[in-house]
Amino acid sequence: MSQVERVKPDLQFVKELQKVGGESLKKCYQCATCSVVCPISPADDPYPRKEMVWAQWGLKDRLVNDIDIWLCHNCGECSDMCPRGANPGDLLAALRNMTYRKLVRPNVIGSWMSSIKYLPILAGIPALIYLLIWIARASVLGTAFPLFKATEHGYEVAEGGKVIYGGLFPGDYCIDLIFGIVAILVILCFYAGIKKLIKGFDAMPKTFVVGQKAKPSFVESLVETIKYEVAQHTRFKQCGGDESTTTRVKGHMLTFYAFIILGIVTSAIAVGHWGGRIPGLDFLHAMGDTPLPLYNPIKIMALVGGVLLLIGIYKLTKRRLNLDAQKHGSSYYDWYLLGVIWAIAVTGLLCVLLRWTNIAVLAYPCYYIHLISVFLLIAYLPWSKLGHLVYRTMALAYARKIGRLPMN
Amino acid sequence: MSNSSILVVGGGFSGITTALEAAEVGHEVFIVEKNPYLGGRVAQLNQYFPKLCPPSCGLEIQFQRIKNNPRVHFFTMAEVVSVSGSAGNYTAKVKIRPRYIDEKCTCCGECAKAASTSIVDDFNFGLAKRKAAYQPLLFAFPMRYVFEADKCSEQERKDVEAACPYGAVNLEDKERTFDLNVGSVVMATGWKPYDVANLENLGGGNFANVVTNMQMERLAAPSGPTKGKIVRPSDKKAPKRIAFVQCAGSRDENHLNYCSYICCMASLKHAAYIQERDPEAQIYIYYIDLRTPGRYDNFMRKITASDQVHLVKGKVAEITEDPGTRNPIVTVENAVTGIKGKTEFDMVVLATGMQPSIAGQGLPVHVPTDGDGFIIGDEAAGIIAAGCAKMPLDVMKSAQSGTGAALKAITSVAGR
Repeated sequence: MSQVERVKPDLQFVKELQKVGGESLKKCYQCATCSVVCPISPADDPYPRKEMVWAQWGLKDRLVNDIDIWLCHNCGECSDMCPRGANPGDLLAALRNMTYRKLVRPNVIGSWMSSIKYLPILAGIPALIYLLIWIARASVLGTAFPLFKATEHGYEVAEGGKVIYGGLFPGDYCIDLIFGIVAILVILCFYAGIKKLIKGFDAMPKTFVVGQKAKPSFVESLVETIKYEVAQHTRFKQCGGDESTTTRVKGHMLTFYAFIILGIVTSAIAVGHWGGRIPGLDFLHAMGDTPLPLYNPIKIMALVGGVLLLIGIYKLTKRRLNLDAQKHGSSYYDWYLLGVIWAIAVTGLLCVLLRWTNIAVLAYPCYYIHLISVFLLIAYLPWSKLGHLVYRTMALAYARKIGRLPMN
Repeated sequence: MSNSSILVVGGGFSGITTALEAAEVGHEVFIVEKNPYLGGRVAQLNQYFPKLCPPSCGLEIQFQRIKNNPRVHFFTMAEVVSVSGSAGNYTAKVKIRPRYIDEKCTCCGECAKAASTSIVDDFNFGLAKRKAAYQPLLFAFPMRYVFEADKCSEQERKDVEAACPYGAVNLEDKERTFDLNVGSVVMATGWKPYDVANLENLGGGNFANVVTNMQMERLAAPSGPTKGKIVRPSDKKAPKRIAFVQCAGSRDENHLNYCSYICCMASLKHAAYIQERDPEAQIYIYYIDLRTPGRYDNFMRKITASDQVHLVKGKVAEITEDPGTRNPIVTVENAVTGIKGKTEFDMVVLATGMQPSIAGQGLPVHVPTDGDGFIIGDEAAGIIAAGCAKMPLDVMKSAQSGTGAALKAITSVAGR
């Protein structure tokens, strides 16, 4: 007798999938319209039809280790054309959400990140940290809303002075220390996550590629991925063809490059701040002494980045709000990320305006919220939708390495 | 005043059956048919299930029964405008369009020769053109020409009138309306093929060599525009590779959200048409689920036993056209092998489904319909749905449905 593979359905997994955005997966009747209308699905074992049947059968192992969920950029063409309203696009999004939730430990953060009811805990952590700092500083400075005057060795509280955020929340231990620790933890989590992700991919049967030249190394694949998919959004641009998807690419591009610009700004300031303390490199101070004057190129970059971020996030939000809810669900993961970026962009730019207008009672609370939102974005990154920045990049590189995606 | 007569709206297979069954047990029956002939969609087929008879065969028997039964009255080119009253006592207002040709017509065809205006032939689903004076179909019942005088110039009308050796052309013919008093109404309004213009991913009707299943019937029909030769519309060459696209617009919430019941069998039947003409032709049937109810399964086994007939599980979700050869190219994922590919064919047949004829239109009768436009009927009010007006059916089941409707109509008017 031939080998019989016994299907071991994981019903709990099916239910979990339905909860994180794949509600309608059971409506699928395997017509394969989705695989055909997907503009970027490969010819061999195309997605998302096979994922739909795996999900219905509860084949958890195949789904959690499925590299194809990262090849999908969710234009939603499959869900638009699906004759049964089974929304395959939502299923793949749900599987990615499942990765955000389960891949990296501690799992408790994953579950907190999966529902709005835990948002008070997640936001409460940075809120408490920065509140304690605020209280401590207020008792030192004698006021919760201090105005400062620059002196030779920093700032001192002065009547008729200026709003200076670094005066109330000093960078050295408010920003750099806390975010430094957070960043190290996030990197460690990502490292563990990537290892687990790739181990999972390794466990899956490989595509047999006929006539492929020497297999590229992972590094070569990663370089290609960063050069094309990350920097130029190559696959993302091919994904979908209607106006809504064009808006999406523009919005995503703007948001992505806005963050790159803002990342450069932050790094420049850190280099200026810390580098300026090294004897002989004090000229770097000009880059790190916040608040920077308006003519400083770093300041200009920061403002441009902030404005680009607002435009990008506006486009992405508008598109998501205009989606036909019957065809394309939006999960909490989508709204969390959009919400946090909105908070960062709006409070960030407001902080600049409030500093200029010197309204201390509004400026410091605004900065406080800004710090909380940045914390929400960065500290929980491996468990949020933004984790795709790392997971998708790794998955696409791996896909190149095994020949699932061609080298350019 | 109560009335035991029955109005049958629609003179297709189920309508005719209803009328005959009721008339043969003694009820006065009126058939109101929109077309210039009786027989409905069946008349357009080449062959029909279960025994693959030509439609002239089954319909001829029905027409004989109508002719021989004085209780059956029928009106062609007629429409029910409104129905008022209540169970047992309805007044139906009927409007008859002018035919401009009276009963003296012998179908000699002189009028068609004299006519010059050429009109797209709906009977052949646009595959041919016809004259403004025409015989609706080869075995038309009533066997009489129709003249669309409204579409012709004054001169052409006069020419057509003068051409008739029997004086059957009557240019004075007018639209007329009259009332019928009936006890019950049977809605046998039938179906229409789903409009392929809506199937944008399948070419939306813009590719010459992508035809519908009903067009295929006309291509295969000996009385059709190609005299029964199955050829590509673009170059009239016999296709060597033909694909059938099942569920083209059916079982699809974006189009018809139900299974049209007949399309799988229709495509298998078309495979038989093609094999009769060219046993070497390669036939691919792309399906989601092949639905071959009851004994139809035997037919499927017979057809698919051929090495030339290939069943592929996977829905065609995209058709493009090679601009040079005008060959359609279909994209499918074979759901069994998991391979997605483009395949070029000489001709593609879209197995489009059935939509109720009345979908998107107002009804002259107050009667409940479902969300898709199928008539549910209201037996208490003596308004009964029959045939494909009620649900997608094949010819055999339409006849059964017609008999059932006759019984319900009789029950509703019995003793009145």
